[in-house]
Amino acid sequence: MKTSTAPRPTTSAFRVIRRRRNTRALVVTCSLTLAVGALFVLTMMVGSFQLTAGEVIASVLHLREDPSVDFVVQGLRLPTAASALAVGLALGAAGTIFQQLLRNPLASPDFVGINSGAGLAAITGIVLLQAGGLAVSGLALAGAVVAALLMYVLAWRDGVAGYRFILIGIGATLFFDGLIGYMLTRAQLSDARQAMHWLTGSVGQADAAELRLLLGAVVVLLPVALVLQRQLRALELGDDAARALGIRTELSRAGLLATAVVLTALAVAVAGPIVFVALIAGPIANRLLGPATGGIVPAALVGAALLLVADLVAVHLLPTPLPTGVVTGAVGAPYLLWLLATTNRQGAGG
Amino acid sequence: MTRLHAEGVTLGYDDRPIVTGLDVQIPDGRVTAIVGANACGKSTLLRGLARLLRPRDGAVYLDGKAMTGLSTHEVAKTLGLLPQTPLAPDGITVADLVARGRYPHQGWFRRWTGDDDDAVTRALDATGTSDLVNRPIRQLSGGQRQRVWVAMALAQDTDLLLLDEPTTYLDINHQVELLRLLRKLNAESGKTIVVVLHDLNLACRFCDHVIAMADGAIVAEGAPTAVITAELVEKVFGLACVVVPDPVAGTPMVVPS
Repeated sequence: MKTSTAPRPTTSAFRVIRRRRNTRALVVTCSLTLAVGALFVLTMMVGSFQLTAGEVIASVLHLREDPSVDFVVQGLRLPTAASALAVGLALGAAGTIFQQLLRNPLASPDFVGINSGAGLAAITGIVLLQAGGLAVSGLALAGAVVAALLMYVLAWRDGVAGYRFILIGIGATLFFDGLIGYMLTRAQLSDARQAMHWLTGSVGQADAAELRLLLGAVVVLLPVALVLQRQLRALELGDDAARALGIRTELSRAGLLATAVVLTALAVAVAGPIVFVALIAGPIANRLLGPATGGIVPAALVGAALLLVADLVAVHLLPTPLPTGVVTGAVGAPYLLWLLATTNRQGAGG
Repeated sequence: MTRLHAEGVTLGYDDRPIVTGLDVQIPDGRVTAIVGANACGKSTLLRGLARLLRPRDGAVYLDGKAMTGLSTHEVAKTLGLLPQTPLAPDGITVADLVARGRYPHQGWFRRWTGDDDDAVTRALDATGTSDLVNRPIRQLSGGQRQRVWVAMALAQDTDLLLLDEPTTYLDINHQVELLRLLRKLNAESGKTIVVVLHDLNLACRFCDHVIAMADGAIVAEGAPTAVITAELVEKVFGLACVVVPDPVAGTPMVVPS
């Protein structure tokens, strides 16, 4: 028979491709983990009081007692570094989930009103209720959930059609931003200052209780996202194809959306609306892993690396320390323009 | 009773029933075509048979069990479907896309195995897409792309395969090529195939069984030679025509008069 020899070569061809891809995914993920670890330590070494990597690691892991080093590391630098790490992981994961779920590279939570919804609720809390700490987190979470539900109701009839979701998201963002502006005009000067700083987004402003909540959420939700990765890859093929593959589409989508919304909301609560990290983490991870691989964990690691670098640049490399959000914005805005220009040309964005 | 059948099934979208109280049996191990005018409910029926639409009334049965009571994950191991317009993620390669057809055979923690490799390889070989494995879907021609989607549905390795208008965007050559592929799959593995088709002549030529629908009801069903007559075409499509034997295969051929 003609066909009896055919399966052999292709078996190996497909196997070889799959093995190569698995190896690449493993290498990329391990390298990213190492890079994030190194950056995490590095952010705690630099500053007006220089430390060695050994001193930082020893202090973080409580291997040596040295009051002056412990004061600098555990008291001052660890909270900032930990919040950069956690916020980056959360935004990277949430961003790529949104982008894949909505099949649009523009659909990061920054652009579909989730951040603004969380921001509006948090600012309202700061201005009207003089809230702080966990109350701000709770409000941001509630705001993000309300914004997400609003988007779902307004834009999700019969699935997502092209740019409708993005357009409604931009509308919602503008609406929420308008209300934020109104809240600020009503605020006391000191509250307004606090609110403005919060709105720029900075990992240095983390409150200990908020940070613990976010770290807990990241530890719980990243494995959840990893388990839902398979469902996400099926949903990308369209609802009918996903259902034909035996995926419970509504349940999977609700789980993925909930995961992404909670991660975004808690990240926003800790550091304010840090822009563009969620937008660019996924595409960078895809560049490293290969097209359409959509790994949630690599995207989360890229997000963490980006935010740690942004924090290093914002605090140490610039003549005057700036909020982290200014740096991510400066990097992200050109990327957004490039994205808009190229997707328009390819007609692939919608 | 055949493996896949519906009893008194009512299907529709929102408040609008499109198919009402319909009974249908899909013959096992045969290639069945569902034909009819636009908006006659043929895709709705297919979606109902594939459990993508939940019946308002009646039930669809797979191997004697009502499909609504079965786990969708388990059904996906027996029943595959190629939707009308599946979406390819940006930049995805043929290898990656076809491999996604293996999802029903993987669990929460079950990893990829040699069986999965074999099933994907068989699907690539059967559809003649083995040479394309490294190519991004977007770079392929319409005919190649459709064969890749069929390969994904084949990788699912199901006894029953449903296809919703798989020939719609293809030229005549690729339409024939795709239908020949379905025939071959049926001949080689005894797969039960159901395909929604627009072209009556191709349906007659390549299918064993035809289900003709009009206004959400079945007007006629059976072997093409028995079913496709000038009266039926007039009734179903409102087209006055002459039915003559296909000069090559002798199957009914519709010629507008």
